[in-house]
Order: sequence, then structure tokens, then C-alpha cells
Amino acid sequence: MSGLPLSYPVRNVRARLRRTALTIGVIALAVIATSVFLALITSLKRTLVASGSPDNLIVLRKGSDNDGSSMLSYEAYQVLRYLDGIATLPDGTPLVSAEKVMQPFARTRAGGRENILLRGVDPIALAVHDEVHVVEGRMFRPSAGEIVVGRGVAGRYADADVGADMFIGKRTWRVVGIFESGGTSFESEIWGDLRDIARDANTFPYSGVRMKLAPGTDRQALIERIDRDPRYALQATPEVDYYAEQAKSAGTLYLLLVILAIPVGVAAGFGAANTMFAAVQSRTVEIGTLRALGFSRGTILRSFVLESVVISLIGFVVGAAGTLLVAFLLRIALGGIAFGAQTFTINVVTLRVSLRDLEAALVFATAIGLVGGLLPAWRAAHLRPVEALRKA
Amino acid sequence: MRFLPLILRNLGRNKLRTGLTGVAIGLAVLLVCFFLTMPAGIDVFLSQIASNVRISVHHKGGLVYQMPFAYVNKIRAVPGVVAADGVVWFGGAFEEAGHVTFPSFAVEPEHVGAVWPDYHIDPAALERFRRFRDGAIVGRQTMEKYGWKVGQQVSLRSTIWPVTLTFRIVGEIPNARSPLFWFQREYLAQAIHEHGWTLSIVGIVWVRIADPALVDGVMTKLDAMFRNSPAETAAETEKSFFASYFGSLQGFVAIILVVTGLVALCVLCIAANTASMAVRERAREIAVLRAIGFGRGLVFGTLVAESTVLATVAGGTGALLTYAFTAGVKLAAGGWSTQLGPLSGFLVSPAIVGQGILLAVVVGLVAGIAPAYGAAHRPVASVLREVF
Repeated sequence: MSGLPLSYPVRNVRARLRRTALTIGVIALAVIATSVFLALITSLKRTLVASGSPDNLIVLRKGSDNDGSSMLSYEAYQVLRYLDGIATLPDGTPLVSAEKVMQPFARTRAGGRENILLRGVDPIALAVHDEVHVVEGRMFRPSAGEIVVGRGVAGRYADADVGADMFIGKRTWRVVGIFESGGTSFESEIWGDLRDIARDANTFPYSGVRMKLAPGTDRQALIERIDRDPRYALQATPEVDYYAEQAKSAGTLYLLLVILAIPVGVAAGFGAANTMFAAVQSRTVEIGTLRALGFSRGTILRSFVLESVVISLIGFVVGAAGTLLVAFLLRIALGGIAFGAQTFTINVVTLRVSLRDLEAALVFATAIGLVGGLLPAWRAAHLRPVEALRKA
Repeated sequence: MRFLPLILRNLGRNKLRTGLTGVAIGLAVLLVCFFLTMPAGIDVFLSQIASNVRISVHHKGGLVYQMPFAYVNKIRAVPGVVAADGVVWFGGAFEEAGHVTFPSFAVEPEHVGAVWPDYHIDPAALERFRRFRDGAIVGRQTMEKYGWKVGQQVSLRSTIWPVTLTFRIVGEIPNARSPLFWFQREYLAQAIHEHGWTLSIVGIVWVRIADPALVDGVMTKLDAMFRNSPAETAAETEKSFFASYFGSLQGFVAIILVVTGLVALCVLCIAANTASMAVRERAREIAVLRAIGFGRGLVFGTLVAESTVLATVAGGTGALLTYAFTAGVKLAAGGWSTQLGPLSGFLVSPAIVGQGILLAVVVGLVAGIAPAYGAAHRPVASVLREVF
């Protein structure tokens, strides 16, 4: 006898609408729980790890592990500017950005108080940090008390809107633009004029220097040259390594999330597979009947597994839509999820569900359908039809 | 109670299904309990560490701005102030354990006892702390994490000041949740003096006030005292200081709670599914019971009890296993984390376990009601007439 018609599983779904709906619901819940968690992990990773340009160096005072606690003099900056091997603009200006970092208080939209990272830069900074782009409004003008805010800042902090006056630390600034950097930690920062911010800080003129290397420069040699300069105790680090080091401090958090994601996946997946398992197992008699009618084991297995995988996929689609909705609601409600950075400022992580997270959830849902459908169908198909029928 | 053996028998019919359902419920309740320990950690931290008669005075614009050290004595002179201690952030990194940081501060040793009497530091240790220039008092959490002993020497490299200092641990803060590392202000002052710097600033002044009723008045007076000075201050209670410091964790907590809710919902569906399966399979049997005279109430009761017993036993086991699970996670996460703060305490309280068990009972009841009601109210004759 040939295979079961495709209409068999389809009608079957209709015949057991409530049970099917329940199964889809459980799978959707499992998909939402795991993909929200996965999205949290990947969003965190994107913010912490992906920051920095591969051909940039960061120069800090020896012993500082971040630019918030580093101090640099005007003389040191002048020396660094004219080192060999640094990329230049067409007019010959070296791509070296002196920066002053402060961590004053800012008010969140929810009424809380957090340390925010305020970075004082010159216009050259946009050429050195080439991943940073002003996407709304315009760049600040020097010495005008103007600032541009990162995308994450704009969502989280009070008055961080283009055209608004924002009170940070000791004074009020005019917000003139919003910038993005592809989701990296710069988006948790506020950028303003170097001199404005240094005046506000009232300490050393600079925290650190970022420089872009010319193509073909021996990076290691340049680093050694900077590190060995006896006049200023400096240390140079590739920017990518610097951010990787910063990310390490979030290692505990990351580890914890991964530790938790596994049982969440297991519990939800187990529950969903169990529901599926039960749904198929309850049809042992039916399978026995089909066998008695002469359908082969393979045919029956194929049909049942197909049915449960299709149900899982429907569950996945419902769950994926639910995940996007949950992530959207969380974004609106929270204005970004904050994680303490090593600098005691806040990294604003925007919860974004990436395609990769959904891919993982898809594999997960398919596995639930396979395992939950195959095992009981296999068992039922291998019972002698008489026994299966007697289960009634 | 007379029907308990029947309920247990019924549960034992399909051992595989009962087992799978039980494991799913247990695991989910365990997770819910674990997640609940995280937000609860903030409350526990605030109630254990923070005192209602201690306030912090810091620069209004942020902790990054410093205040003149002279402020400390001015604060001490204000009526209602019992003691004050000005602390300076050191940002010490313990290189031997791979560049880890914990909160390290230079403090005024002679005022520690009076500002933090609730820390119950051994008076002999405080005496040593005053006497030895390189002495350090360390919170038990940090002591235990690195296996430090009183009398031992440790070196910390400052990420703020251009110095590496070697300390002798002279005592501990006997609280397993305290990560603090305190040493003498004078030690830091001497060390940076070699670089030509003078330590004339203070980051935070911790102030103990005589009476909770005086707190608001003293805070207002302090802020008024420094208004229009180069360093305007913001005084706040210790609780509010830490609450706002940890306020940024709310987003993380919200996600945790959302996932917790989803997992709980999942359990409910699983339990409901199992209950409805059990009822469906036994439709004829239930009809027979009814036919020979057992009432609807009894049928309904035993079926609901069946689902409740399963959920409660499985969920209760899961809730109790939270103790073991958190111990494991704590070991893996390794103590104080700058990112998680008090969320990383993972303290399982009886209240949390209670909530987990309650969840399990409610899940069992809710999951059992609909199918049990359906079974109890189906007409007996029509069920018996069905071939299948």
C-alpha cells in the first residue's frame, strides 16, 4: 500500500484542535524563553566585545586599565602626534585623537541616577573612530557647550533628545545630535568638546590618546617605541585588545547567563517535547489501526514525524513573533538594559533579537518536534497491531 | 485521605509520563526559585549592609568629582553628627589572581569604629588598624575568595594612582557579603607624595548620625553648608546611595523576571497537558465509577488531587534543590562581581523556597481543574456507549 495522504495529518490537526493548540503554545513559550535569553547574551557580547577598530591604538598612562582612570599631559600628546607610522588626512593632519573622559552623574528617564561616560574630543575623533557616525542632528561645535549622545544614551537618559538641554554632572549641555557605532559600547557615551570637558573636570588635560595606524605600519614596533619612552610613563594597546580586556570584566555575568540559558533551554525544551510526546502517545490505538489496515511502519512514522515537525514549526513561528514582541516591549519599558562597566559607568545594551538567535531557536523547535514525535510513534509502530489496539 | 492510594495508583499507571512531567515541573520550579534569588539579593543587601543612621556625602555632580579634605572636619562639627570618615577610591587590582578588582578605599582608621559600629569589627583589629601604617581591614567575602588570612601581606596595584602598595591584613569585617578592602589614608598620602603629589581630597564622607529622627535635618544642613562652594555636595542615606548605585540593575532584573514568568507558564501548560491526557485515557473508567454510584464531587476531587500531588511533589523537590543549584552557580561565578553587585549573592531564603512550592501547588490545582471538571460532568451513558 502506498503512503498516507498529506490530508491525513492536516485533518488530524483539525480533529484535535485543542490539543494541537496547547502543543503549539508550549513550543512557542519554550521558543520565547530561550530566544529572549539568547538575544540578551548576543546583545551583551556585541556591546562589549565588538568595540574598537583593528588598526587603532589606545595610549594611556602606565598602570591604568581604562581611559577613565588615566591621565596624560599636553607634552605627551604632542610627542605622540608626530610619531612615524600614523595615518594622516589628505592635508597632513595626523589621525590622532586626544580624549578626556569623565564619569559624572546623569538622570535616567526612569528617575534613577547613574554614572555616564562623557568623552571630550576634537573633531578629528570621527576620523579616528571611523565606526562612529552622527545619524540625527549634527556634530557639536567646539566650545559652544554642545554635545552629541550615543543611541543607547538617547533611549535611556532624561533630556537626551536633539535640541534639549541635558544636565550632566555640574552643568547643562545642549544636545545637538545622536550618533551610532553599530551597537558597540560607544553608543553608551556622550561626546562633547575636549576643552569644555577638560575645563569641567579641572584636572589633567587628557585621559588618553587614540591613533589610527597608516597601512603597512609595524604595529608591534610602534607599541614598543611608545612604551619605552622614558619621559612619559605610557602604554599603548591595540584598541581591539583594550575592549576585549574590558569585556573580560563582564565574564562573570556572561558565564552566569550561559549557565542559566542551558537549564532554561532544557526545562522549556523538555516540557515542550513532553507535550508533543504525550500528544502522539495518546494515538497509539490509531497507529495500531493504521498498521492493521496494512500501512507500513515507515509510512506511519514519516507521517507522524512530519506532523509533529510541522506543529513545532508553527510553534516556532508563533514563538519568534512573540520573541520580537517581548523584546520590543522590554526595549520600550526599560530604555535599554544597563550593565555596569569596569569604568563604573553604564553600558546600555539594546536588546536586539538577531537572525542568529532565531536560527538557534529554529533548530531547537525542530529538535523538539523530531524527538517528541519520533519516540512515541516509533514505539507505537513497533507494537504488534493487536497489542496497540488492545491499549484502548 | 481514604482515596490517597487510588490517586497514587493512578499516578503510577504511566510511569514514564508521570516521570517526564515530574522532571519538567521540578526543573522549571528550580529555575523560578533561582531567578527569584537575584532580585531578592538587592533587598537583602540593602537591609543587611545599609544602616538608617549612616549617610554619604559626596560631590553633587558625581562620584568622579572630589571634595576638599577639609570638608570632613567641617562635617564633624555639625550638631547631630557622631562620627565621619572620609574615604578615597583606590581602585586596587589584585594581580596575582589575574587582575581582579573589588572595592578598595583609603580611609581614616581612627573613625572606622565609630562610623561602622554595625560591622562588629573586632576592637583589637581596629587597634592594630590604627597602629600599623600598612594595615588593612578586609571584608570576609574577599578574604574567603582569595583564601587570605589575618597577618598576611597582599599587594594591590592602583588603577587610579600611579602606585602599587603592599598591605598587611590586620583584621576582617565579619560579614560574608562584604567585599570591602580598607587601608590607611596616610599610607596612600605618603606613597603619592613620592611622586610630588599631595593628597588633599576626599571622595565620599560617610557620616553616622546620633538619631534616625535627626537624619533629614543633618542632610539638609550639610548640603546648605557647602552650597555655592566649588564643590557642592549631595547628602543621602546609605540605603538611597546603594539603591541608586544598584538601580541600573533593574533592567537585568526585569528580563530575569520575564523569563521566570515564561518558564512558569510553560510548567502550567505541561501539567495541564498531562492532566488532560490522564482524564482522556480513563474516560470509560471514570464513567464506570460514576455509574456504580460515586459522585461528581469525588471524581472531580480525586482528579484534581492527582495533578496537585504530582506538581507539589515534583515542584517541592525542585524548590529544595535550589539550595544545591545556587551553591554550584556561586562556585562557578566566584563571589563579588562588579556587573551584578548584590544580584550575585544568590541567597536562597525559606521565603523563596516557599514561593516555589506555592507555585507548584497552584500549577497542579489550576492544571487539574478544567479536565477534572469536564470528566466529572460528561454524561455517563454516552461515554460508556463510545467504542473508543
